[in-house]
Amino acid sequence: MAQLTKSIKTPFDNAVVRRRQMRKLWLAFLLFPAMAILLTFVFLPMASAIWYSVYEWDGLVRGEFIGLGNFQEVLFDPRNNKFLINAFFNNVKVFIALMVFQNGLALILALFLAREPKGYRFYQIAFFLPVILSTVIIGFQWKLFLNPIFGLVNTLLRNVGLGDWAVPWLGLPETALGAMILVNAWHWVGFPTLVFLAAIHRIPKDLIEAARLDGASEWMIARDIIWPLMAPAVTIIVVLTFIGSFNWFEIPYIMGGLEGSPSYSTDMLGLLFYRTAFGSVSAGNSDFGTGSALAVLIFIFIFTFSTIATRYLTSREVELS
Amino acid sequence: MKSIRKIASMAVLGVATFAYAGTALAQTELDFWSWRQEDVKAYNEIIAAFEEQNPDIKVTFTAHEATSYNTILTTALAGGAGPDIMHTRSYGSLEAIAAPGYLEPLDGQIDLSALSADELLGTTLRADGHVYAVPFASQTIVVFYNKDLFEEHDVALPETWDEFLAASQKFKDAGVIPLANGLADAWTMEIMSGAFLPNFYGKDFFGEVTSGATDFEDERFVNALEKFSTLKEFMPQGYEGVDYATMKQLFNVGQAAMFVGGSFDIPTFVNAGVNFDIMPGPAAEAGGPRMVATWLDGGYGVNAASENKEAALKFIQFTATQPFAQMLTDKLANVPAVDGAEISDPMLAKVSAMHEEATPYIMLVAFRFNTPTGSTLLQNGLQELFTGKKSAEEVAADISEGIKSAE
Amino acid sequence: MATIELRDVTKDFGGVQVIHGANLSVQDNEFVVFVGPSGCGKSTLLRLLSGLEELSSGEIYIDGERIDHLPPARRGLAMVFQSYALYPHMNVLQNMSYALKVAKKSKQEIEEKVHAAAEILQLTELLDRKPKALSGGQRQRVAIGRAIVRDPSVFLFDEPLSNLDAKLRVQMRLELTNLHKQLQSTMIYVTHDQVEAMTMADKIVVMRAGNIEQVGPPLELFNKPANKFVAGFIGSPAMNFFHGQVVGVNNATYEVKLENGAQFTFTAQNSNLAEGDEVDLGVRPEDLQPGTGGHGTMAGTATAVERLGAQTYVYLRSPIEESMIIHHAGDLDVQSGEQIDVSFDLKSCHLFGPDEQRIEFEG
Ligand SMILES: Nc1ncnc2c1ncn2[C@@H]1O[C@H](COP(=O)(O)OP(=O)(O)OP(=O)(O)O)[C@@H](O)[C@H]1O
Ligand SMILES: [Mg+2]
Repeated sequence: MAQLTKSIKTPFDNAVVRRRQMRKLWLAFLLFPAMAILLTFVFLPMASAIWYSVYEWDGLVRGEFIGLGNFQEVLFDPRNNKFLINAFFNNVKVFIALMVFQNGLALILALFLAREPKGYRFYQIAFFLPVILSTVIIGFQWKLFLNPIFGLVNTLLRNVGLGDWAVPWLGLPETALGAMILVNAWHWVGFPTLVFLAAIHRIPKDLIEAARLDGASEWMIARDIIWPLMAPAVTIIVVLTFIGSFNWFEIPYIMGGLEGSPSYSTDMLGLLFYRTAFGSVSAGNSDFGTGSALAVLIFIFIFTFSTIATRYLTSREVELS
Repeated sequence: MKSIRKIASMAVLGVATFAYAGTALAQTELDFWSWRQEDVKAYNEIIAAFEEQNPDIKVTFTAHEATSYNTILTTALAGGAGPDIMHTRSYGSLEAIAAPGYLEPLDGQIDLSALSADELLGTTLRADGHVYAVPFASQTIVVFYNKDLFEEHDVALPETWDEFLAASQKFKDAGVIPLANGLADAWTMEIMSGAFLPNFYGKDFFGEVTSGATDFEDERFVNALEKFSTLKEFMPQGYEGVDYATMKQLFNVGQAAMFVGGSFDIPTFVNAGVNFDIMPGPAAEAGGPRMVATWLDGGYGVNAASENKEAALKFIQFTATQPFAQMLTDKLANVPAVDGAEISDPMLAKVSAMHEEATPYIMLVAFRFNTPTGSTLLQNGLQELFTGKKSAEEVAADISEGIKSAE
Repeated sequence: MATIELRDVTKDFGGVQVIHGANLSVQDNEFVVFVGPSGCGKSTLLRLLSGLEELSSGEIYIDGERIDHLPPARRGLAMVFQSYALYPHMNVLQNMSYALKVAKKSKQEIEEKVHAAAEILQLTELLDRKPKALSGGQRQRVAIGRAIVRDPSVFLFDEPLSNLDAKLRVQMRLELTNLHKQLQSTMIYVTHDQVEAMTMADKIVVMRAGNIEQVGPPLELFNKPANKFVAGFIGSPAMNFFHGQVVGVNNATYEVKLENGAQFTFTAQNSNLAEGDEVDLGVRPEDLQPGTGGHGTMAGTATAVERLGAQTYVYLRSPIEESMIIHHAGDLDVQSGEQIDVSFDLKSCHLFGPDEQRIEFEG
């Protein structure tokens, strides 16, 4: 039967086929710029990084093919992997801290704004404003604010009688990373807030009122109704935060320098990569081989984990009917 | 949160871009790259003087951002491009571009007689013994001091370590920050150490540690670190977070009495109008030597792949002559490496005089060839030492171990 | 299981009053239906009752106890939303047990109640389905089930059947009526559907623009609408109105001349009509007879005729541009464009004075 109907071509079928072809052409046309950009700026560098990573490099001259030698050096040579492990765990700390402080605060702000308190539009803009500022400016600005002698933060602390708290935030291994994380949170909190807020607004009001009639407290409504229903937004934010945390570069570079000052307490995979691949005035010469191997490893790690996370998180999403 | 991929792509793109640079006209045009953005005007004047004598050559001076200069230059050279002539760094950083053959060997091609063997060391490739750049200037670590503050608080100029501590204490008691230095920019700590460590570890240590006769766990070095670390009580409150800019500001505005820095800091304080003078670091004991740590800042090299090598060598020869050295000190307040210049600036003359008792700035001169570099190890070690995270012994052991592990 | 009492309830939104002092008593176990044009405040009144909105002034009592200051959950009522408002991430069982879980009921109790409710609503097979996998009618039943498990003393329904197709609506209507009998609880029900209102209600509340116009059993409203608005609103097709004027007054006997020429007299004991007063005569379509006779006759041109066999609707336009509808039981052979006469019997007519209030009269 199916074969029979298939073999008979009507003018209608032809029109359908033509329309499908047009559609494909359109799609190709629309996708082309994005694909071209992706190819030039993502796949090409990726491919070249992989290519570089399997060769021995003498400074900038490509030597012989050494297979996974560079990877071995990055992962198992104690001179390198000491930094790798340190930087990796710093990135992990950044991810956890940003999840808790930046995104946690964003969630609270979003829940607060969703109730449309007086002047919430103003707050909404105020929270979002730092997001549009350049990271470089924010890094330098906060470096000034946190200056132990002239900085705004310590001046304020001293003026309100908390002189003991006026520590050199960026100078102590105990506080430097935390300070940078807070700066990052200050910079970015508006973004997850906005995404969460949009997700909350998408939840039909009826559902919340139904829960209220069911006797749920505000906290239970947030936990049992709003939170599960904003799962898609949470997925996006978790994955973006993960990628951002493991690619974190500008803020630690500007505020702590290429060596993760003080004492590598703010060292990140990104800084380590940059130092290794391009060298620095005091850290020595560039090594494209191990640098590329490191870049490839970072990429594989981020790619694998964001894929797993996306899969897992997506599985708990529900469509709002 | 820019991605690493982006940086990698920049590198690739850079290679592609620089592949098409430099074309020849009737007049030979030379590209000259440098990291000295603050010196563009002076260099253009110097170049004008050269072009007057060599009307067939035109030199274009381009200054790149200092911290990324090495990356920009090496990337260009690796792509078979780059300028005809360039400012090179010295020692390890020079080797990075000399060893792969990007630079033209100069000895035999030009007359280097106006330079001492010591100075040429900084631009010589250890592997083949050839000179790859004409050294241009040396830098020296000195202690800057505010003359007004010393006078106002009636503090005598310290000559020994004990006097230095006493003077610092006096300033501290008077509510003046004795030392402007801080930890936030780790390289400033290495600089600071250059004013104090050598006088403790002594004249012979450098030769012994570079020859392998001893290592950094040597008692002399540990002791030097130990002594040096006591200075933290004379640094600003919150010195852990004080960066280079803040240090300079503290000294500029007269909040700090002393500032340990390089001779390259002189113009800053002159421009700021501080009533200052300089002195070498204190002697360990009365009558002991007061050595200053010096190093060669860099040199001028020729791109081995240049199509205008002849003209380029002509210019490089010019940089190895007395008239060039004279302009370098007059216009740029440098202590030139080339002999025979008359140093008119009194401050520079003083620096030059201190070279009587000079010691190599140890990590930069001898231990920046491999990874991890001595500078990285020392800078990190000093941060740990001054934040109390590690003791002098532990820091010395880390440095020693790191140096030994370097290929 | 509960009586409800509204006293002078008002509500304004940002300075605009939308409920202007509503008074209402609902008896225990009564099925009350709110009707009225869109925007008249039915939902608002329901939400005020439920506690989802706060009163601007007035008082609400349930079983004699004032509850208007209590949070929604403590008022002992349950609401079924037009959109069902099922929690999309929970299955039917979880949807129905959520309120009980929140109330910290024992597992066993939850189980029992949910299964009992599921039994009543024929949902037992569907307990582990998510709302997405349910039909409209099933979702509606879950929404009701979610209300039932809480054992509320009052059920509030806001247009619960309006998203269903006609057939399902009829079925659910019957189920709801049965449910009401079974549960023996007070229900308040908002609808736009005349048939729902007439068939389900013990008592209909007609609202207009934030005011309660009339409250009463369906047939009372139908037979004795208190004013022209209620008369026009209840009944389908709507009542025909003919405008006229009092032309003669003699003791309690009045003479009225309609604009279309018909003239009649009647007596009304408690009326203070005066000569010249404007009045409206209301005649339901089924009370307009084809042909002449009765207490008055008027003419019109048929603009449309709907002959359904068992009944016929004729849409007429009179020379003075009044339109009217005749509802005739049985077939009526009228063609569109044909000119016909219609007559009415005063006994089955309604009369409204200049204030649009009902006037009791005898023909
Ligand atoms: N939150 C609110 N803010 C401002 N005005 C409102 C609000 N809710 C309702 N109103 C107004 O109150 C009036 C009554 O609205 P309500 O929803 O009660 O009408 P309704 O009788 O239920 O209408 P429908 O039959 O269309 O559902 C309307 O004029 C509406 O615009
Ligand atoms: Mg409504």
